[in-house]
Amino acid sequence: MSSSERQNAGSIPRPIARTQSMFHRVLRANPFEVRQALRDLRARFAPAVSADAMGRLELVLAEVMNNVSEHAGDLCAQKPAPRAMHLCVVMNDAGLSCAITDDGGTLPADCLLPRNLPALDPLDLPEGGFGWCLIQGLTQSLCYYREDQRNCLAFTVPFNPGQFSGPISG
Amino acid sequence: MPKLIVNETEAQLTVTVEESRIDAAIATRFKDRLREIVLRGRKPVRLDMRRVDFMDSSGLGAMIAVRKALPEALPLVLDGLTPNVERVFRLTRMDSVFEIRPANTPQE
Repeated sequence: MSSSERQNAGSIPRPIARTQSMFHRVLRANPFEVRQALRDLRARFAPAVSADAMGRLELVLAEVMNNVSEHAGDLCAQKPAPRAMHLCVVMNDAGLSCAITDDGGTLPADCLLPRNLPALDPLDLPEGGFGWCLIQGLTQSLCYYREDQRNCLAFTVPFNPGQFSGPISG
Repeated sequence: MPKLIVNETEAQLTVTVEESRIDAAIATRFKDRLREIVLRGRKPVRLDMRRVDFMDSSGLGAMIAVRKALPEALPLVLDGLTPNVERVFRLTRMDSVFEIRPANTPQE
């Protein structure tokens, strides 16, 4: 049986599955490999999605992967680097679905709780604390689970952000 | 070392950022270098951001640290923000702290 006969086997012809761009990368948890992965990701998806969606996707992934790089090894200093993470992005009808897994320490639960932007004290401006606000504000269906020794974080960056275009509610 | 081109006149310091990304790979060195430049100048600063097409929250943190290092009376104008960079300032409400001119604003 030829491959086309095998595909067409069965009484009801199957609709041809639409092929969509995807991106998969295994990288070491450091800012330089994160930067390269994001450059390659942009090259893959930029022709297919709007500049706005591409920018939101890149920002969210930078924040997530920077967090992994920054905290990789925090809790298991006896287990030396390099630590790896896996990035997978798949395009679907509503947006770009992303999954990031890594073998670092468990994510603190409060990262995923609804949070406010750091207080904007003009006399002592915050220099950090924006990362998880951006991640929460730019994603939908954000979920996290721990499986054996791995963190798994998944979410969607929607094509049409709707209410996400303004400042993140504080 | 981050590429920053400094152009000093009587009235102000113009710093052109020749990096396409201000991200975690460069944020600390960018902050240290820019802070050194603006503190030495002691003049109003215009930062030409036209070439920067990506910035993350570590880059934003670097910008805030530089703003805090300058005396409050000295302006720090961020000129020529591309959409990806402008988005970070807007989403974090830091657009209310900095004087921001997006890339499409006509020059005076």
